[in-house]
Amino acid sequence: MSDPPTAHWSWQPPAAPRVLELSLKAAGHAPRAAFSQSDWPAAPAIQSLDLSAASKVGVVSLRLPKPRLKVSSFGFPLAWQAADAPPAGTHSPPSGPPPGTPGAPPPARGTRIQPPKDIIKLADRLYYVLQPSLETLVAGSGLQFPFQPYPYQMEGTAFLYPRYAAVLADEMGLGKTMQAITAVRLLLHAGELSSVLLVCPKPLVTNWQREFHQWAPEVPLTVVEGDSAKRRWQWQLADCPVRLANYELLQRDHEVLAECGRTFDLVILDESQRIKNRSSTTSEIIRSIPRRRSWALTGTPVENSPNDLVGIFEFVSPGVLDEGMKPRRMGQVASEYVLRRTKDKVLADLPPKTFRDADIELAAEQRETYRMAEEEGVVRLEKLGESVTIQHVFELVLRLKQICNFDPVTGASSKLERLSADLEEIAASGRKAVVFSQWVETLRTLSQRLQAFSPLEYHGQIPTGKRDAVLNEFRDNPRRSVLLISYGAGGVGLNLQFAGYVFLFDRWWNPAVEDQAINRAHRIGAAGPVTVTRLLATGTIEERIDQVLREKRELFDAIFTDVPGHASSGLTQAEIFGLFRLFRGNEEV
Amino acid sequence: MGGRAENAPLAVGFLTVVEHEQHGLFGGFLVVDARGRPLEFHCTAPVKTNRAQEILFGPTLASYLYGEQIGHALFASAKHRPVLACIDSGPMLAMRGHVDVPVVLIAAADGTATAGTAAALATMPAPQLRLDAAHPRGPRLVSFSLGQHRLALDADYAGEQAAVVAQLEPLAARWDLSEPFARIREAIDEAQRSGR
Repeated sequence: MSDPPTAHWSWQPPAAPRVLELSLKAAGHAPRAAFSQSDWPAAPAIQSLDLSAASKVGVVSLRLPKPRLKVSSFGFPLAWQAADAPPAGTHSPPSGPPPGTPGAPPPARGTRIQPPKDIIKLADRLYYVLQPSLETLVAGSGLQFPFQPYPYQMEGTAFLYPRYAAVLADEMGLGKTMQAITAVRLLLHAGELSSVLLVCPKPLVTNWQREFHQWAPEVPLTVVEGDSAKRRWQWQLADCPVRLANYELLQRDHEVLAECGRTFDLVILDESQRIKNRSSTTSEIIRSIPRRRSWALTGTPVENSPNDLVGIFEFVSPGVLDEGMKPRRMGQVASEYVLRRTKDKVLADLPPKTFRDADIELAAEQRETYRMAEEEGVVRLEKLGESVTIQHVFELVLRLKQICNFDPVTGASSKLERLSADLEEIAASGRKAVVFSQWVETLRTLSQRLQAFSPLEYHGQIPTGKRDAVLNEFRDNPRRSVLLISYGAGGVGLNLQFAGYVFLFDRWWNPAVEDQAINRAHRIGAAGPVTVTRLLATGTIEERIDQVLREKRELFDAIFTDVPGHASSGLTQAEIFGLFRLFRGNEEV
Repeated sequence: MGGRAENAPLAVGFLTVVEHEQHGLFGGFLVVDARGRPLEFHCTAPVKTNRAQEILFGPTLASYLYGEQIGHALFASAKHRPVLACIDSGPMLAMRGHVDVPVVLIAAADGTATAGTAAALATMPAPQLRLDAAHPRGPRLVSFSLGQHRLALDADYAGEQAAVVAQLEPLAARWDLSEPFARIREAIDEAQRSGR
């Protein structure tokens, strides 16, 4: 093994660094005397850059000024009234649909108010667009509902809220009263209303009072009533947010009202078909009331002809509709003002309504009486020739219809036999039935012949002051299972949802009125299915009337196209003549 | 803006920005009273950014546009002095540096949130930082709950939380605090329609 190679290191100091001094400052003027030529290093090559050239570089300046942003501003009126709202829960909820959940936060997407098309100004439209949901308005104002309204009822309220002209034409039983009261209540709290006049048929005054107490307990309601001095004082009251008067009373007081010089913020007409005839005194008086907003409530906006709607619009928004309009066009124009919903559309949970057409064969003696009366009547009409009038025909129709109910001599009645049989079963099962007739006389007879069921009567001959007691008795007394009621007195406004059976002992001229009657029972709160039995004497005038009315159902559909199958049109003069094949010229008259 | 007058109603402001594909950004400002009723409404003309702004403001562009330019301009238009400003997008928090009331970010009551809202920011994945680009930086948030709502403040103003809760607590019990933003969007839409 050889030795590892030895490294031979020798250290030498490093060469002294060569120092070159260069004065850049005076490069061109060095004192040559201080150096010899040999000491002078080779002159470095110097390249100069003219820095001044930098000043010539083009500069692009980006200006970022703070832009002045255009802002559009809109202010809205303040509402102070809500500060007066009572604390929540100052009244006890009544019985009814399932109660809501007081105190629960409103749904994130509640019922919003949309501005109607006839509001043009952007600021006015934004006022409604920017309103919170109805649920928020209610909660924010510390208000409460006695029970949770249905969503369609909130939508109806939102429909009314921004409108100066509106027709709420929901089918009977959907709660038009509640929707109107809630809209009034919210507008009062918003400070948008301070004087409201409610007009309804006289029999419905107590109903409105009750509903108002239920849905707007904190709002003072003044029922205009009493002697003329008291009424004058009530009309003149300054601090009176809501007045309730009936149509008949307004006819007496319209001069006093005019003297007061009051302009109402809102006038609401319940059962507004009362003013369908524009030339009637009632219509003229109602239309003369100074007002800013006009709302009409009716379940039957078209009863006999499209002109009924024109009559209502003369109050709501004069000139919008006219009698020359085709039904379809009328429907289009009115759609912005009219809200109509039917139970089958909005109340999926409402118990079903079943119709039974009970075709009744007249008893032998009834049939004979009927035959003789018809023959004599027709002969008499034919003898009258050109001088025959609608009254002549009408009298005959009424006489024949009455015979269909009871034989005037023997009292025989096939309808009564059928009704008695059904009522026995109903009473035995603890259910309740409502029986409608157009004649008080028929109701009186029924009352006597149905004594086994202890029937109650509700018609024009029952004093107004006693009518509520009748209804309470019928509702609360389990032994009172039958209520005999006239179309005239009980067709509108009554809540009879505890009755599961409705009998139409005789038929009204107008299916809309029949529907009104049926819907006294088939309405919100109905505990079970409602069975409607229409008693119809076969081979008689009743059958012919029914046929004509069925054919006329299309009229309503033509105006309210999204509401199928609703009958509303009654018989015209020509159609009544036609029942007996009476012709005049080219048409049945 | 001075203090709230003796008889003036409590006013709360709600601001949001709506992005329109063609026109740019629209700002809307709704001032409501304690019951949620509108007192005043302001909306801006559309704001469109240019390329220079995008380059020079970089990641701060959104907060500049939403908070400084739109938010501040809207807030300055108010006649009622809101006790606080509620917003629904993170970049608007930048307006706090330009107004003298708390600015609080409100997430939708249903838990959904658009980009930049408190909920979205809370669930945002950690950003990947690059050396060759500007670092994105969202506002540092202090978030908290109020009833069903999730709220957030810029961390630099975390001390305002107690005041915000005191103002909003009675309101949140009665109405959905995120609902007014939907109204503003509808109103901007209505204003646009009317301008056509």
